[in-house]
Amino acid sequence: MSHSLVRTGLPRPLILIGVVIVLLVCLFPFAWMALSSIKVLGELYTIPPHWWPDAPTWSNYAKVLFESNIPRYFWNSVVISVGSTGLALVLAIFASYGFARFNFRGKPFWQAFVLIGQLLPTAAIIVPLFITLRVLGLVNTYWGLILVYMIVTLPLSVWMLTSYFKAIPVELEEAAIIDGSSRLGVLFRITLPLSLPGLIAVLVYSFVTTWNEFIFALCFATDSSVKTLPIGLSEFSTEFNTDWGGVMAASMVMTIPIALLFLVFQRLFVGGLTAGATKG
Amino acid sequence: MKHISTAALLALTVSTLTLASVQAGEVVWWTPNWGEARAKELAEKFQAANPGITIRMEVTTSDGLPQRVLTSLQSGAPPDIMEVQHGWVNAYAQNDLVLPMDDVIQDKDDFNAAAIQNVSWEGKLWAIPYRMETHGFIYNKGAFTAAGLDASKAPETWDQLIAAAAALSKDGKFGFAITGGGEVGNTIFRSLPFIWMNGGNIVSDDLTTAVVNSPEAVAAVKFYTDFYLNGQSPDSTLQNDGTANRRLFIAESVASYQSGQFDINSIRNENPNIDIGVGLLPHPEGKTPASILGGWSYVVPKDAKNPDEAKLFLQFLNTSENQAFFTDTFPVRQSAMSAERFKDPILVPFRDMLQYARPAPIHKAWVQITQAYFDGIQRILTREQDAQASMDQANEEIQALLDS
Amino acid sequence: MYLRRHTGLLFALPALIVLFMLIAYPVVYTGLLSVTDNKGNLVGLSNFAAVLKPRVTTQAFINTLWWVGGSVVLQVILGTATAVLLNQNFWGRSIVRSLTLLPWVVPGIVAATTWAWMFHTEFGIINYMMTSTGAVPKAVNWLGDPNLVMPVLIAINVWKLFPFVAVMVLAGLQSIPNDLYEAARVDGASFWHEVWHISLPGVRPVLTAVTLLLVIWALNSITIIYAITKGGPANRTLITPIQIFREAFENVAFNRAAALSVIFFAVVIAIVFVYIKVSSPSPEAAK
Repeated sequence: MSHSLVRTGLPRPLILIGVVIVLLVCLFPFAWMALSSIKVLGELYTIPPHWWPDAPTWSNYAKVLFESNIPRYFWNSVVISVGSTGLALVLAIFASYGFARFNFRGKPFWQAFVLIGQLLPTAAIIVPLFITLRVLGLVNTYWGLILVYMIVTLPLSVWMLTSYFKAIPVELEEAAIIDGSSRLGVLFRITLPLSLPGLIAVLVYSFVTTWNEFIFALCFATDSSVKTLPIGLSEFSTEFNTDWGGVMAASMVMTIPIALLFLVFQRLFVGGLTAGATKG
Repeated sequence: MKHISTAALLALTVSTLTLASVQAGEVVWWTPNWGEARAKELAEKFQAANPGITIRMEVTTSDGLPQRVLTSLQSGAPPDIMEVQHGWVNAYAQNDLVLPMDDVIQDKDDFNAAAIQNVSWEGKLWAIPYRMETHGFIYNKGAFTAAGLDASKAPETWDQLIAAAAALSKDGKFGFAITGGGEVGNTIFRSLPFIWMNGGNIVSDDLTTAVVNSPEAVAAVKFYTDFYLNGQSPDSTLQNDGTANRRLFIAESVASYQSGQFDINSIRNENPNIDIGVGLLPHPEGKTPASILGGWSYVVPKDAKNPDEAKLFLQFLNTSENQAFFTDTFPVRQSAMSAERFKDPILVPFRDMLQYARPAPIHKAWVQITQAYFDGIQRILTREQDAQASMDQANEEIQALLDS
Repeated sequence: MYLRRHTGLLFALPALIVLFMLIAYPVVYTGLLSVTDNKGNLVGLSNFAAVLKPRVTTQAFINTLWWVGGSVVLQVILGTATAVLLNQNFWGRSIVRSLTLLPWVVPGIVAATTWAWMFHTEFGIINYMMTSTGAVPKAVNWLGDPNLVMPVLIAINVWKLFPFVAVMVLAGLQSIPNDLYEAARVDGASFWHEVWHISLPGVRPVLTAVTLLLVIWALNSITIIYAITKGGPANRTLITPIQIFREAFENVAFNRAAALSVIFFAVVIAIVFVYIKVSSPSPEAAK
């Protein structure tokens, strides 16, 4: 480990300044949302605007948690996001390994093919996708959305994992193969543990992307038994009005668990790093 | 190509499974969330009277509604009844996506003529309009009094409005808010009536010629956009739609604006201090007001599974009593207007505006035409062009759309 | 090296089959729509002619280049810088890393509307803070000024996605074996030398993939623009995917939308192919 050596890195003041700037940039709109979620209706749109609510209220949260469909949709979102992230990850691990470690005819074509679903504008594919789902009998089902989200999550997962796998020295795998490991054994015992930080990054990213997806969910899940959180957000709007306090509170309920989840995953990040270091 | 046949096989198996799940006598009804409670009540009443038919409600939201509706229509798996805005209906009819509805109502005369015209095409009726509304002039009486204006009545003519807006615009407040942002419809609903009042139009009545650069139209466009250019409409005009204007009115930053009766409750709830005044839209001296008729209709998709039951349910929904009960604004049936809930005095000017309401022109490129016109308005508001030059360019673009 | 012919493809096959199932029909359908009218009659290339003719198509295309170029360059630079920063050792690092994620965890539509609200000339907190501190003399018309609106939208898009770059690059940085750094430190390398000669080369594959994904997302991203300006004012922020969206869902002209999609697709796939060819040398060299 490197502790014995003289540490190089950014000087402390620079780190501090950098971190403060990054946090300000990231949190500024978020703070506005959080504060809006505890404002009463009359305080939301004022001129001049004010940061701190004069009469903070939890009523928006009470409404979101007890009077809206958000709790029910939360569960739907969990099922769909976990399902599509998991499925994408499994498919992507194999595909990425194939792309990263082998040369085969038409490889650039197949790599580009993975992206095709995202190269066609959503406006163009939404109708035929609906027809495809109808033929498969998957409209208004969890599986329907989980499958459709492969269009969104697979390109990301395959491409990112390919790049992480490529970064791992081939010699490590070759050594294992000489020791008699099978191809799959190498993938699971050497490549995956070494790319754990990348796996987690991809996992979190796919999860969040599906968690927040609106237009597919809107069109393919019309029954409340499968509606997801972003649809729940839109239910705070009527034709000429939006309950912004409610939307902001619901957004907090949607966002904070994910941020916490990621905080917990940080441990795994570090775990992955150590594993990589000892083997490298 | 092993995967193709696998997919096909899978598709075949699953589709045979799902076909069986379509129930006879079930009417799937897409209804917006703002009327959910009333819709439920009506559905229950109908089911009690018609034991063979079940109504399954699927609640829609205004975000993304056009996409959701069109996706289901285009893909051949729509519900049996959908609620859509009047203005959307024609495109559905022209693309052969909805069923004609002439057999649903027998007493068309009881329906507002402009509303019926809105959803008619090639001599057939393509939707049942049930709700209608139009804009009036909404103003803050307190602000009027403070500016030394007569708060008991709204400005009636353009000159009066210009004078009032000038008097009201001081100390960082704005006299009259126009829209210049948001969805195209916001600005069409607010500016096209002025063109009409002045004897102009965007396209000629026979829909062959663009006339938006005529002197009448340009004068009206200039009248509209000058409120912003002269600093009487908020600096944020290019970002504002109808909702934003209402918020500015509630924040007492704006003293008057155009909108429908649906804004009244929001204003009362969010700022009870405002004494709300309502009047007709101001018109040019010696002419009459005009406005666009907006509202909602029921359509039955061409691929609906149970169109007959759906139409039966629509007859129930469109009795005079049920229309009056279900609408958020005014009912389209004249006979339903006598209901108690439309007697609130503040609604009187909105109701009086209805007689001046016209349907928007019905042309297959209307949405693009309005987009070209709206782009023109925005070019004036960003001071890229003056009214004449901008409308000349819009005219040329609109003519190209009419010719193609 | 592993040269068995089909093993690689075999690994990729399950993912490819799933995608094929989903995408095959939409691709065929879009192609068919683009050469037919709304009754299903073949009309040759007239839809293409109809969408290419208006001036606005060219304008949208140029706007798209600005939007994609501006967004991606800034996202990559800021994201990578953030990743290097978050790879440092400091107290509270894991909390900072989690907080950095927030922009992307916030639902796109909510983020867009919140920003529109904060940038609003009258209601916006940004103008309020700037005028009350005297930074600017008068409220700035962020979203109404034709020359400001695109940069503002790009800034919002950068804000939304730079955390993605940061997290992906950070994961790449963490996979770089420590002994590389240690060797450099023995030779007395400075921090910047390490970043330039070890860190960045180490994450090159990651940056390549990230950039490609960002380009594709920027090309296909309509949420932010549509929610804030709808392409206005006067089409200053109209990008091609929004034009397609308008054709399909506002004009109910699915055939023209399909024609425009086909053109869009052809251009993008060409870019992607060139990018893949240029950026991925043979596996031996990539090692």
